[in-house]
Amino acid sequence: MKRRVVITACSAITPIGYKPSDIIDSLLQGRSGVKPLRDDGLLTQHIHSRVFGTVDYPIDYGFTRKDTKTMGPVAFYACQVAKDVLASSGLEQEFITSGRLGVSFSSTHGSPTVQRNIYKTFFSKLPSEFSSIGAVDYLKSMVHTTAVNITRMFGITGRVIASSTACTTSSQSIGFGYEMVKYGMQDAMICGGADEYDTTTVAVFDNLLACSVAYNDRPECTPRPFDIKRDGLVVGEGAGAVLLEEYESAKRRGATILGEVIGFGCNNNGGDLILPNLDGITTTLRLALKDADIGPEDVDFVSAHATATKMGDVIEAQAIDAVYGDKPLVTGLKSYMGHTMGACGAIEMILTLYMMEQGFIAPTLNLETVDERCRMLNHVRKITRAETRIAAIQNFAFGGVNTCLLIANGTNAGA
Amino acid sequence: MNRDELQEKIITILEDDFEFANPGLTDNLRDDHGFDSIDAIELLAKIETMLGFQLARAEKEKAMSIRTINDILDYIEAIQAAHPS
Repeated sequence: MKRRVVITACSAITPIGYKPSDIIDSLLQGRSGVKPLRDDGLLTQHIHSRVFGTVDYPIDYGFTRKDTKTMGPVAFYACQVAKDVLASSGLEQEFITSGRLGVSFSSTHGSPTVQRNIYKTFFSKLPSEFSSIGAVDYLKSMVHTTAVNITRMFGITGRVIASSTACTTSSQSIGFGYEMVKYGMQDAMICGGADEYDTTTVAVFDNLLACSVAYNDRPECTPRPFDIKRDGLVVGEGAGAVLLEEYESAKRRGATILGEVIGFGCNNNGGDLILPNLDGITTTLRLALKDADIGPEDVDFVSAHATATKMGDVIEAQAIDAVYGDKPLVTGLKSYMGHTMGACGAIEMILTLYMMEQGFIAPTLNLETVDERCRMLNHVRKITRAETRIAAIQNFAFGGVNTCLLIANGTNAGA
Repeated sequence: MNRDELQEKIITILEDDFEFANPGLTDNLRDDHGFDSIDAIELLAKIETMLGFQLARAEKEKAMSIRTINDILDYIEAIQAAHPS
């Protein structure tokens, strides 16, 4: 059984906005969401990189204590975007709790804020009998906390997938959710990822010399994917969720079809856990094309992973060139908001859907002088009016995990 | 702490920390206020803090039969009686 899988709702909390109109406006205006790193009273003073893709606007969650007692900050983000997609989907409550709707959602760490509080308690000077760990701390910090808080909040009884694979967390979530629906295991899936404000991740990448440090006094000027003056990634926070549904039932119930997932490629480099791997990435892009049964010439736009690390961008450019040549437009959307880690694949897919719907492609921000080694691509350098029929969203993670999602725009999906 | 003082403290905890609205002494905690197993464990931690000592595992297990606020008060009074200091 192979079924068509369409996207019928989406929502994203990003450093460049929450409402679709705010996000689109940020893309059109070239507005960055990268801000100075906030002092956490612990790690910040030891970190060289002083920038972060920050969600600094208030969000009206409207959750009750019953909802929130098992939620750390990352689950607030996750449940909010899940709430949005369910609200806009028009799905009946009977279907939501029927077991035919599943959740494929995760984050990089669970909640680092809660984990930090556990360690604070553990190392506190309080008498041991009073230094118990809160009963719900595990539920807030476990790695599948986002997925199961979503199921709990909405009474969802279908399958739960919580792929926690760093930067490919949410692209795998969407890919695995797509396969659940495509092969008839579930009729619909809420898919995505989230990560909260966390200096631990910054410290890790900082120690690996992978973080941007040269623009601490001008946060909006970094990251700089494919630019000759790029100096590393910027960690960010956020969340993204999409609702995937089987096409025929979505059409029958009159759902708005925003797009269609037509292919998913995923593999592992089978070796080094950090260094990007040209063969691994190239294979992933080709696996997605094969899954979608299309040729490279059919892809109009590539949302590159493009973290702005020195070697990562070059290897990715070589892979794009090898598979697609210079035909598709290429943008690195992390240039607007940094690397939102477990959320990046979902957020970048949602931004791509917005651009498809609006008929434009945003340029890579801060791309002033293209690195000679990345020059062979069709980089988007200014707002470009374009009808994008098929787009590729590619993401690569520590651990050697590579993903590529191929989506068709909603107009084509309705055909 | 006498029963009236205990009652006032427990009701304050249930209202402030567990968002109970108009709690009655004989209300069913689960059915009337959505109090679940996670809440029970949290409440036990608060009772430990209030009493100033850690409950033994056997004492905690006895709390699993609590159904009403009156049951909570009975439970704490029994604990206090077993720890006279």
